[in-house]
Amino acid sequence: MERRDFIKTTSLVASAFVIAMHIPQKARANASSASAKQKELTPNAFVEIKADNTINFYIGQVEMGQNTYTTLAMCIAEELNVDWDEINIIGAPVTPAHNHVWGPFMLTGGSSSIIAKQDEFRKVGSALNSMLKEAAALKWKVRTYDVLTKDSKLINKRTKEEFLYGDLVSELALLKVPSNPKIKDLKDCKIIGKGVKRHPKEAWAKVKGQAEFGIDVRIPNMKYAAVLHPSVFGAKLKSFDASKALKRKGILKVKQLPNAVAVIAEKWYLAKEALGDIEVVWDEGENAKVSTKSLHKEYSSMMEKPGAVMKKEGDSAKAFKAAKNIIEAEFNFPFLAHAPMEPLNCVVHDRVDDATIWSSSQFQTLTRGAVAKALGKKADKVEYNTPYLGGAFGRRAPINLDYLIEATFVAKGEAWPIMTLWTREDDIKMGNYRPMYKNKAKVALDEHGNISAFDAKVVGQSIFKGTMFEGFGFKNGVDGAQSEGLSDHPYDIENSFMEGYISKVVPSVLWWRSVGHTQSSPFVESLVDMAAAEAKADPIAYRINMLSDIRHINLLKEVSKLANWEKRKKEKNVGYGVAIHKSFGSIVAQIAKVRILENDYKVEDVWCSVDCGFAFNPLNVENQMISGINFALAATKYSEITLENGAAVQSNFYDYKVARISDAPNIKVSIINSMEQIGGIGEPGTPPMFAAVANAIFDASGKRYTSFPIKLG
Amino acid sequence: MAFSLTVDNKNYNIDVSGDMPLLWVLRDELNLTGTKFGCGVAQCGACTVLVDGEAIRACTTPISSVLGKVTTIETKEDKEVSKLQKFWVQEDVSQCGYCQCGQIMNAAGLLKKNSKPSDDEIVKAMNGNICRCGTYNKIKTAIKKAVVEA
Repeated sequence: MERRDFIKTTSLVASAFVIAMHIPQKARANASSASAKQKELTPNAFVEIKADNTINFYIGQVEMGQNTYTTLAMCIAEELNVDWDEINIIGAPVTPAHNHVWGPFMLTGGSSSIIAKQDEFRKVGSALNSMLKEAAALKWKVRTYDVLTKDSKLINKRTKEEFLYGDLVSELALLKVPSNPKIKDLKDCKIIGKGVKRHPKEAWAKVKGQAEFGIDVRIPNMKYAAVLHPSVFGAKLKSFDASKALKRKGILKVKQLPNAVAVIAEKWYLAKEALGDIEVVWDEGENAKVSTKSLHKEYSSMMEKPGAVMKKEGDSAKAFKAAKNIIEAEFNFPFLAHAPMEPLNCVVHDRVDDATIWSSSQFQTLTRGAVAKALGKKADKVEYNTPYLGGAFGRRAPINLDYLIEATFVAKGEAWPIMTLWTREDDIKMGNYRPMYKNKAKVALDEHGNISAFDAKVVGQSIFKGTMFEGFGFKNGVDGAQSEGLSDHPYDIENSFMEGYISKVVPSVLWWRSVGHTQSSPFVESLVDMAAAEAKADPIAYRINMLSDIRHINLLKEVSKLANWEKRKKEKNVGYGVAIHKSFGSIVAQIAKVRILENDYKVEDVWCSVDCGFAFNPLNVENQMISGINFALAATKYSEITLENGAAVQSNFYDYKVARISDAPNIKVSIINSMEQIGGIGEPGTPPMFAAVANAIFDASGKRYTSFPIKLG
Repeated sequence: MAFSLTVDNKNYNIDVSGDMPLLWVLRDELNLTGTKFGCGVAQCGACTVLVDGEAIRACTTPISSVLGKVTTIETKEDKEVSKLQKFWVQEDVSQCGYCQCGQIMNAAGLLKKNSKPSDDEIVKAMNGNICRCGTYNKIKTAIKKAVVEA
């Protein structure tokens, strides 16, 4: 997305130069605006250079493990020639300059950070690089092409004289910013496209316990809150008695929230312990009758009626009549909690005229606005800070802003900054799950064993309907998370009729790493595998035969080579399964090798090939593939939230099981730079894993599992 | 109750109830936030510290039961911890990074007991530490490299 009038400098502090973009007010910076109160950073800055040669990159995409800080910093550094180890990468405050290309807000999600920001960041680096050269050339009285930039220094090619970038802070401010800075072709880049490790300052902070996550924020006089929530989804608070809790040591206040009770204490542990002394009467409401079993029944009966049409192509009914063979199957996908390792938290400091928050939200602008509204303040009166996120996987982008708004109500009108911190049990039991889905398919095979028709039904809660994202993800009665990856599957199938059904929301639902692709990929890729098995065809050759997209075909050939598929060792109780899936603009193919054990199985190896157009940081692409595979493995093998009496049965890692180191397969990753449109990388590694494992189990055992998590026996 | 405690070779006197877990003493009383809260029930290992060189889960260890010297991720003097940190960075292990302090402390506990663990012994020892980013593969590599260097 090109912006006219693209980059401008902005107001300066005496000792720093700041470059920002898309600033409406000033086209030129003012070098002499040295007033003391301008000490704080101009909030829409991208790069700040200080007189002492401190160089700060401000990045509006939150860092939750996906390595956006490093990869976007690489984009600036590619053009700016900085001393890489010395730069600081800092989370930007909420400011329009850092808005996403999707709209007037900052957000981190949808595997979109590099896609959305790489071009801007490279141009910022290039503009600043030109300006530095121009400033140095003026001082040295040489042409700009006689000036080199390297390691945050300027070098006079003729005299070998040097300036540090910081030496030119005042001169920079007098220069005009190039209106359309040139950037290198990707193929000529020296940093972009190379495997760059996480920036050393971040990497060292994280291994030394110095990285500040939201939970580590410490503000003078800060207090802590723990919250008593209803366990039945939708239960209403009727009354509570906190007299006993208030007698405990360190308890400052017990506070009624819209539908919960918070204990504010000197220390969090004291607050959490006091929760047990509060007696609450809940009105459990009609959800108290809901169970996973009752939802299954409801889903099945919904499917008997016509649904909202997701896809209609050709004449399915006719194809089924002419079919040589018909495959019918039902798939089940449970609710899933994200369970990021850092329990959810938020610090809010409400003051008379303004407020400050420390939030790990993936939705910065939205969160600031909602927090301000809840506090009865204007958004620009809320100072917003983004620490590191201890995992997110979508959970820190809650559409209902649950823990963020709750923390705001806890701190509203209080004299202290307050950290509201959820327990792991809160995290597991409080909803915002991947929806529970039931999918049904009917697949017609013709006399050659090819798929002539594919009919499908998907039932589950809508992520988008009735939310502020409805316009984005809910159209004609169809939820985007039900259709994505399904109605647009890559296979050449002439006849298709697909319907979606929206079930009632009991626990709130949310995007979970790769969103709807968590159901569509295992669904489609298991069915294609079943068809290949019926046709007694090689699963890779069968897929290639049904594909016309060259990227998919090349990727299957690539993963086949990587896994040595043709020469795979046939062993008793060992099977191999393949799956390929496109999501967030990237295609990923995986082959899993599974060994069947007594009542259990072990995924021993995964070979993974990815075409994300162009890998900006191949090492990070590899890391994200490994991450996506192990994340999917948890839900393939273990994780599920089930409901009984309207509440989640599971509560912590002993019953909401996730993958551990003993589960992690050997993983080999290869990358194809097809140079097609750039795709995302944080999520696409997850979807194919489910079916690759299911297909491998079938290959090993002859048994087809279509309900997740897959438990043998 | 009053307790005296040695953490990373520094002595502290604190006055808390004896059942307060070591984790919350470290984080909220001593402001040593490098040790992380993950589950509160010794299921994830994010809170792992060493007591007299042995890895324990601080979230379920009452302060009254801590008799030895505590070493946390914030130590600057532990040989195993610094070596593991170096290989963690070298192998680009961390993603979100939240669990890694506990992973490193648990690995340090392993190396103190067994300086040459086999691959199986590494997996067995590290199986109590959860990483939702799934960095397990690189954790294994980093520990193996640290073992080789020893």
